[in-house]
Amino acid sequence: MKEPETQGKADTAQLFPGNSFAAVDQSPMDISYYPPEYPQQKMSAKQPAAAPVARIIYSRPHKKGRIIFSNQEKSLVRYGEPWRLGANEATEIDFFQPVVINGNNVAAGRYVMYCIPFADRWIIALNTNVDSWGLQIDPSKDLFRTEVPVQQQKASIEDFTIVFQDATYGADILFTWDMVKIILPVSFSK
Amino acid sequence: MKTFVISLVMLLGSIASFAQPKLAPLDTSPLDISYFPENYPLLRIQQKVTQPPVARVIYSRPQKNNRSIFGGLIEYGKVWRLGANEASEVEFFQNVKINNVKVKKGRYTLYAIPNLTTWTMILNKENDIWGSYAYDAKKDIVRMDVPALKQTDISEAFGMVFEKTTNGGFNLSALWDDVKVSLPVSLQP
Repeated sequence: MKEPETQGKADTAQLFPGNSFAAVDQSPMDISYYPPEYPQQKMSAKQPAAAPVARIIYSRPHKKGRIIFSNQEKSLVRYGEPWRLGANEATEIDFFQPVVINGNNVAAGRYVMYCIPFADRWIIALNTNVDSWGLQIDPSKDLFRTEVPVQQQKASIEDFTIVFQDATYGADILFTWDMVKIILPVSFSK
Repeated sequence: MKTFVISLVMLLGSIASFAQPKLAPLDTSPLDISYFPENYPLLRIQQKVTQPPVARVIYSRPQKNNRSIFGGLIEYGKVWRLGANEASEVEFFQNVKINNVKVKKGRYTLYAIPNLTTWTMILNKENDIWGSYAYDAKKDIVRMDVPALKQTDISEAFGMVFEKTTNGGFNLSALWDDVKVSLPVSLQP
């Protein structure tokens, strides 16, 4: 679904004049599973019939030469202000079994996830206001907030990315864009 | 053929991974989401809805790219995942009825068997699956034949939307190239 009044709307509408539905989005949606690539693995006989543990549905904006995270006014995401961790619809995380995130118990279900970025740390919030557009966050529906450190990396990442990575205690959710990388540990029984 | 496709996918995946280790590149068939009521997440933050959503579909959007689509890229008579990559997923947030079959609220995968004049639409209970390679007809919930409607405008990108119908239900409509199909869904108390 397209966000109204974005710069890209006219461009994509021109490209696909015949589509009476919706043009492909500037910030395409993507999905990440834990175990990583679960749907692909399910095709092969190697994959046991167990259900996946989690998945994230989010949109992937591009850097396009812009300043992404900073204090500056022209920055796409300003320090200290809530960000939807993507674009368009609020980013959704689904847990198919109970998990623990930094000491917080989370029941199976669908949640919204957003962050408040700072130079050295991000506050990450899990929120119950699902099926909402990402620009209007309702902190009264936060389940909890937790802080994780920001790591700098040498190469810039063009497209905002969220993936799950294996960890001994469960999995890490890795967020990365531009020069920063953030890891949110998720514990669950394997 | 299946093995070839899988190894090609793996090969492409490993080529892409040289540039950006561990991170998935943007997909050529991006994922998208449609809700019923239409634009529900936007309406929600505008305080224009008070009820939970009725349904949503999560699917990937391949592009025509000058190819012949139905009867070409997508062979007639064969099961197609209605999109690309992961099998398309429809979620009903309440009980519904399709082709006189009661469908409980929950997540399902969607497939279609396209033909020249009619398509068979399929709702299946095997979730979180890639493509139609592992499609298992034994896990079908309901099938329904619907007409393939020729369109005058060409749709470059495959798309799915919900369209409200006069009986209070909705059609789940799919459109690509010059074809549109609509699967009627009615609401159950």
